[in-house]
This record gives sequence, C-alpha cells and structure tokens, in this order.
Amino acid sequence: MSLKRIQQIWGFIFLSPWIIGFLAFTLFPLAASLILSFTDYNLNRADEIHWLGFANYMKIFTDPLVGISLAATFKFALIALPLSIILPVGLAALLNAKQLKGKRILRTLFYMPYMVPVVSSVYIWQGMLNTETGWINRFLGLLGIAGPNWLNDIVWIYPALNIIGIWGIGNAFLITLAAMQGVPTELYEAATVDGAGPWGRFRNVTLPMISPVIFYNLVLSVIGLFRYFEIPYILSQGTGRPGNAQMFFNLHLYKTAFVFKEMGYGSALAWLLFAMAFIATLALFVSSRRWVYYASGDGF
Amino acid sequence: MSKKLLLVLCLLGLALGLVPAAAQDKVQIVWFIGLGTGGAPEQREMQEKVVAAFNAANPDIELVLNVAENTVARDTLSTLIAAGNAPDIIGPVGSDGANAFGGNWLDLQPLVEKTGYNLTQWNEAAVNFYRTPEGLIGLPLATFPSMLYYRPAMFDEAGLNYPPANYGDPYVMPDGTEVEWDVDTLREIAMILTVDANGNDATMPEFDPDNIVQWGFHFQWYGEGRQIPTLWGAESLWNPETGKAQMGEAWRTGYKWFYDGMWKDHFIPTAAAEQSDALGAGNPFNSGNLAMAQSHLWYTCCLEGSEWNAAALPSYQGKWNVRLHADTFRIFKGTKHPDESFRVLTYLVGEASLDLLSVYGGMPAREQDQDEFFRRLDEKYPQGVNWEVVKQGLNYSDNPSHEAWMPNYLKARDRISAFTTLLANTPGLDVDAEIDKFLADLQAIFDEVQ
Repeated sequence: MSLKRIQQIWGFIFLSPWIIGFLAFTLFPLAASLILSFTDYNLNRADEIHWLGFANYMKIFTDPLVGISLAATFKFALIALPLSIILPVGLAALLNAKQLKGKRILRTLFYMPYMVPVVSSVYIWQGMLNTETGWINRFLGLLGIAGPNWLNDIVWIYPALNIIGIWGIGNAFLITLAAMQGVPTELYEAATVDGAGPWGRFRNVTLPMISPVIFYNLVLSVIGLFRYFEIPYILSQGTGRPGNAQMFFNLHLYKTAFVFKEMGYGSALAWLLFAMAFIATLALFVSSRRWVYYASGDGF
Repeated sequence: MSKKLLLVLCLLGLALGLVPAAAQDKVQIVWFIGLGTGGAPEQREMQEKVVAAFNAANPDIELVLNVAENTVARDTLSTLIAAGNAPDIIGPVGSDGANAFGGNWLDLQPLVEKTGYNLTQWNEAAVNFYRTPEGLIGLPLATFPSMLYYRPAMFDEAGLNYPPANYGDPYVMPDGTEVEWDVDTLREIAMILTVDANGNDATMPEFDPDNIVQWGFHFQWYGEGRQIPTLWGAESLWNPETGKAQMGEAWRTGYKWFYDGMWKDHFIPTAAAEQSDALGAGNPFNSGNLAMAQSHLWYTCCLEGSEWNAAALPSYQGKWNVRLHADTFRIFKGTKHPDESFRVLTYLVGEASLDLLSVYGGMPAREQDQDEFFRRLDEKYPQGVNWEVVKQGLNYSDNPSHEAWMPNYLKARDRISAFTTLLANTPGLDVDAEIDKFLADLQAIFDEVQ
C-alpha cells in the first residue's frame, strides 16, 4: 500500500467521528424529516402512519397560525433588524472614538450581558417589565407617565422583546469594533487631506471598510429572526400570548411537533422554515455584490 | 496453555448464554414514573424500596423502574411508545396527564373479573371516577380535594369572621347576621380584604386599584383554566353525545365572575399582579399578601409557614362543586404482559400504597388510611389545620371532572389556556363574545379528529 493511500485511510479514520456524527445526527434526521413531512406521523399514534403526499404542505396555506406567526415575525423584524445592525455599529463607533475615556470598562460592560444565559436574562427582564412592580414602569411613574403593559399588550410586546434583545448584541458589537479598529489609518489621513469631516470619514471610509462585518451581522440576524424562539417561549410560557403576538413561526413549529406531537405537519413547517431562511440568505448574498466592499476584490 | 484458554472461553460463553436464559424465566415489567409526581430525588429511594420488596416476593416478575424528569416525561413517554418500547405501568399520573395519552390505557375490568379483585375496599364513587368510555382505566390511589385556604390574621385585621369550617354552615357577617356562604358572599368579603397602599379597601370609593398591596381571593394555580368555573358547576366543554363544544350558564357565569373580580372589583390579582414580587412571583397565597385561595390539597407542597387554615368552599345556587384531582397508576394498553402488570398494579395501589403516598403527598383513597396521612401533615403544620373540611369536600367532587377528556386533547387544552390567558391579561373584554369565539375555535379543534 502506498504512503499516500495509508495517509488517506488515516485521514478518514481521524475524520470518522465527525462523519458518523454528521450522518447519524444531521443527515439522517434531515432525510427522515423530509420523508415524515409527507405523512401524518403522530408520536402518540406512531403505529397509525399514513402517506399523505403534499397534504401537509397544502395545509400550510390554510393554517391560520402560519399567517399569524409569519406576521408576528415580520412585525418584530421591523424593529429588530435595523436595531441589530445600527446599534452595534453605533456603539462600536462610540467606543472607537479617541476622546472617549474608560473604553475598556465600557467595552466589558456592553459585552457582559451577552454572557448571561438567555433564560436568566428573560426572567430578569420579566421582573423589570412587570406592569405592577417593574423598575421601568416605576421609573416612568416618577416622571408622571403611566407605564404600558409591556408583556401583555399586543402592541407593546414588540418593543419589550426588542429591549430584551438589545442585551444580546454584545457579540455583534465586539466584531464590529474589531473591524473598525482594523481600518488602515492611512485611509482616514487621506480622507482628511481631501477635506472630509468626521461624518464624511465615517460615511466614506469606515462604513465601506466594515461592510463585510455588517453583512455578516445582517445574515446572522436574518437567520436568527427565523430561529427566534427562546425569549417568546419563556415569556409566554409557550402560549404565544398576548393574543398570539408572540406566536413566532418557530414557536408554532415547536408546538405542532413537540406539544401536539404532529411530527408530519411539524416536519413540513420545518422545511418551510428552511426554505424561507435559505431564500432570504440567498437574496442577501446576491445583494451584497452591490454594497459590500472587499479589499481583496473577492466577493461572493 | 491454549487448551486451558479454550476451556475458559467455552465456560465463559456457556455462562453468558445461560444468564439471558435465566433472565427470560422472569417477566420484566417496566414502571414509568414522571408524568405526575415521583420524579424528585427524595421520592426515588422509597420507590426503589417498593420495587425491591415486590421483586423479593415475586420471583417470576422483575419490576424495573424508568424514571423521567417531569418536564420531559411526556416527550420521553411519547418516544418510548413510538419506538415500540412502551412501559407496562405508568404513574402516578392525574387525569390531565393521562388524557394527553388518551386511548392508550388498558381496561382493567376484565382483569378485575378474572382475578376476583375486590373493588369494595374503596368508596364506589372513587372507583367510578376511573370508569370512562375506554373502560375502567385505573384503581384509586390518591385524591387531592380542593379547599379554601385562608389567612386568619387578615380576617382579624379587617374585623371579619372566618369562612365556615364545614360545608353547610352559614357565614357570620360582622354585624352578627348569618348569610349563605356562596360566591356572592365570598366576593363581598374578598373586596373588604383587598387593600390599597393607603389602607382603603375595594368597597371604598377612594380605593386605588393601581396600588393594591393585599388581594382578597384567587384561584391559586388554575392550570389551563377549567379549574376556575368549576366552583359554579361540573361541566365538560365537549358533549360526547353530539360531539359539540359546549359551555353551560354555570361556567359562563364563573368565567365572568373571575373576569370582573380582576378588572372591575379588583379583588382577584391579574396575571401581571400574580407574577409580581408582591405576590411571590407566581405563588400568591404563599406570599402572605392574599387572604383566600382555592387550591387543592397538593398545594401543601409549596406552602410555607403556619399562619393559615382551611375552610369550606362557597356554594353556587345552593350547591357545592368541589374540584377533585386524583392520581393513580395506569397499564399501557399494548402491554405484552397484562396479567403480570395487573399484579404489579394491585401491589402498588394496595400493599405499597401507604409507603408511596408518604412521599407523593396525596390523601389515601382508602378511608382507613387517611388519619395516618393527616397526622403526618399535622407535624408539618402544627397550627391545627381543619383537615375535616378536606374530607367533606369529597362528597361534592365535580363529576364530570373539570379535567375530562376531549377529542384532540392537547390542542383543545392549548386553546383553553389561550382563552384563560386572554381573560387574565386583557381589560375591557366582552366576555360573552370571547366565550362564543372560544367555543367556535374549540369546535374546529374537535372536528379535526372527529
């Protein structure tokens, strides 16, 4: 046996734990869910499985909760998506400013909430946003403002979810800050010589240079929106309250598959979710050719 | 050397072959725990002791425990059933937990008849509780009647007499007049016991509903919501004869009373208030800021201190409707060993029941075992709780049960929960219109499987 062949075999041996894991825990469940999406498989009646063809996919068009859950996701995205891009850039710009004192402490403080487990932070915010005894409404009360019913009002729930979500921007902020600090100083010097002010330098130098990172954050945020689950699940105790305003698509999927045990229809919903996330990501990649700058000239 | 090695290997092989053969002589019965109580570490020791005692006395059966955490027990059991590895015995589990697996329980009646098992050891009503269209799907083990928990100190402070200690007793108003202890009287008393930060009670015009510091009454931990209107009558949201979703006037009245109690009369905490620190972030009666609560005997699990007592629940139109929860064990319909499973089941609800109930906290369904149970509770609550009223409550237990099975149970239950959540969170609703909408949705859920 040649040395190359032996090395190939050893390569596969070392890769085999991952390959086996991928086949058993990713590829097989993927294939199984695709097949199950064409059946009426119910975990409580596993022996009564029937082939339904495309009936589960047709049901998606008549299931009122699909429309409701997509609308909830869209309404939330209207605030969450701009926030997830603008806020990290704004904070990074602030902490990148030469004049600012105590940058290290501020950087740590802004990043720290990201380290808090989601469940704990939701419980903390639940207390903070409580209509009766929450600190936010108490503070508003001191100003003579009657605080809203943050968590139980179909309008105020979206700002509330976004306030909670802001706690999670630490990672995006840190990556953006790293990208800003990597912008060559010569570019700023050249722009200054050309007469650019602070806004001009930010608009024409910083933003284009960090656009790959903004793009990265945007893609993750869009995928995160489709996967949005933990916070509404904990806040609404799985009910999607108030009035299904927190019935995000992923929560609807979870309840269908794992609460009502309708694995067949749940699988169809999962594939729809995958298709939506895939199309949105693809659209972003296509659009990135127009607005993302790569110094190497390599785009997607 | 090689011959010796061969001999050792042969002997080893023979031994390994014999072990399964010996094990096959025993019928293995798997007991699944987790749908209800029984999953806590401090309960496991007693359950293991009960299993060991059974195995020692029954050489032909090997009883094996499979304990799942309560939070994942439903998923675990579903997976076991789907994978064809369903356990034989499941429990302890209440009606609600068992309904999630409706259609999977074995009818015990043929086994009772075959073995001549004595059902008269229990009250007939307790046995009938388990008679369903599927047959006799359980034998009585533990019951948890509901009662009125109250805080005497709050009554003393308000100059009010305590709620009646017995069903049928009148309530004595502060001026000495005796009135019927019904839901109207409860409302009146609860409003007096609801106090704002300035010390005004809910009957006063200057009462500030935005600054309540003490509430009068609540349905402590009302589940998905059918527990609430049961005080007004025993109903089921599904009519088995017509297959229609339904709600009688009693339950409509109950839901409206609950809603007005929160948003108009303010003596019941709203969902936001219930989750606030003032009410123990979800454990209102235990917080010490709630005067009265309807809950089950199982609430003693989570009630600290001794500044409380138990009283009779109020009537509605002269009748009492006391919510009852009951836990027991079930046999999986598809068990390969029904006879052996029944032997285990009768052991668990019979000989082993007192040991098990000592860790499960349920009132024994057998009357002769109840005194010992309450003696142990008195050690925990030395204030002299009126346990007699708990026993009395059994005479007025709801039938049909508020946890009655419905078609498409999990989805229907989810819709009920959404309806109750709406009431507890939203002021300004037309409750009648919401009930009509709720029933229409419920009908659609039933029709998915009917």
